[in-house]
Amino acid sequence: MRYSATLLDHFLHPRHAGLMREPDGVGSEEFEGCGDLARIFLRVRDGRADEVRFQAYGCGPTIAAASVTSERATGRRVEDLVNVKAEEIEAALDGLPEDRRHAATVAAGALRAAALDALDRRGGAR
Amino acid sequence: MSRRIYLDHNASTPVHPEVLAEMLPYFGERFGNPSSIHGFGREARAAVDAARDRIARFLGVRADEIVFTSGGTESDNFAIKGLAQARGGGHLITSRVEHHAVIRTCQWLESQGFAVTFLDVDEHGMVDPDDVKRAIRGDTIGISIMHANSEVGTIQPVAAIGAIARDHGVPFHVDAVQTFGKIPLDVQALGIDLLSFSGHKIYGPKGIAGLWIRKGTKLVAVQHGGEHERRRRAGTENVPGIVGLGKAVEVRAQEMAGEAVRLVALRDRLWDGIRARVPEVRLNGHSTARLPGTANICYRHVESESIVLGLDLKGIAVSAGSACTSGSIEPSYVLVAMGVPVDWAMGAVRHSLGRTTTAEDVDEVVEGVVPLVEKLRAARPAGVA
Repeated sequence: MRYSATLLDHFLHPRHAGLMREPDGVGSEEFEGCGDLARIFLRVRDGRADEVRFQAYGCGPTIAAASVTSERATGRRVEDLVNVKAEEIEAALDGLPEDRRHAATVAAGALRAAALDALDRRGGAR
Repeated sequence: MSRRIYLDHNASTPVHPEVLAEMLPYFGERFGNPSSIHGFGREARAAVDAARDRIARFLGVRADEIVFTSGGTESDNFAIKGLAQARGGGHLITSRVEHHAVIRTCQWLESQGFAVTFLDVDEHGMVDPDDVKRAIRGDTIGISIMHANSEVGTIQPVAAIGAIARDHGVPFHVDAVQTFGKIPLDVQALGIDLLSFSGHKIYGPKGIAGLWIRKGTKLVAVQHGGEHERRRRAGTENVPGIVGLGKAVEVRAQEMAGEAVRLVALRDRLWDGIRARVPEVRLNGHSTARLPGTANICYRHVESESIVLGLDLKGIAVSAGSACTSGSIEPSYVLVAMGVPVDWAMGAVRHSLGRTTTAEDVDEVVEGVVPLVEKLRAARPAGVA
């Protein structure tokens, strides 16, 4: 199997999948070329991501990357989420094959967009 | 993992136990080179001749019209380049849904100065014989149309195309890799002049295939060297492979008709099971003129690779109709040529059944697909693909 056990676990059992009603922040990222897309929703309490949900369309790694991103983002300060990099997501999946690196890029990009949206809505400085 | 279910027989098949048994001595004590004149060589030569005879009887052709090759790709290359280079220039006709072994060979010939017409297909993936007739020019030197498509299973109107080719005196090549040994194939009645066939699609070994060349068809060799295969294909014969192909054909001659009936029923059971429980699915290919074991199904709003991965994790092997490489995804060129919308084509999955597939397997695949597609769709952002 070319994918890690962690990746397969997140693909088979995605954490926090589905729509969030009235989120405090939402952001999407699409990978041009393959059309893979992730969308992250944030519920913010006391400046932290109290609840994170995701939606994703694409290959198995993209779904797994969005799932692991939702897990890692929960409980962290929104300002920190702006800086979550694709490398962190890839590491959390115990690696990605070279031709599937876009999965981490898409998930990290969606999280960053959601965090920026939450900060915008709060009206606070970035 | 419990038991595994293999629904990818259009990609490859397991070697039949009787085929393997017949091959084994030719890896061991009967290892001779058929070109050698001593006893070891004569033994190998006799085995190659016997296999050729078996295949010739199966096809209803002369044994000396059959050339063994390394695979369907080589057979297609040999047929098309052999025709083209024997004439030095001119025009070829093929279709947009051929195997890459045909399409890319034709594209290469285009780069060498030949003209090629790539015919469109209808929504079932079928070539219109009238389009073939209209495409024929004064300098047309060959027509290459597959017997059945590997992705969607549509069987082409080869007899009608063969009649047109014969009327115009144009050699007609048919890539029959997906039909040889699966459905009846009468090269005389179909008006075929060159026929590609392969071993590993019919429970024979990989690395062995053949090209039948009607006597009198002007063709030049593309591989040069020794005097093998009546100087048409240089290289020491793959004796165990040839023996295996011969045996595979013999087994197919006995099993093919009954198996086709059984597979049509199982294929329809699969499609009926899926469409009853999964919304927004479509079956690709012709409803009746289709390979017995092939069901190519589009699951809208789901990317096919995620279905293949999800089923693989349940021990079920199917194949994706779209391929994602290096972050760029292309829907199947066959489905695109058939006019299947991209949002459907991205979710195309091919299920190809075979001789060991059971009703229980089919039911288990349906049980596996239903929750998987449901889950993937639930995680999908609205308005995407």
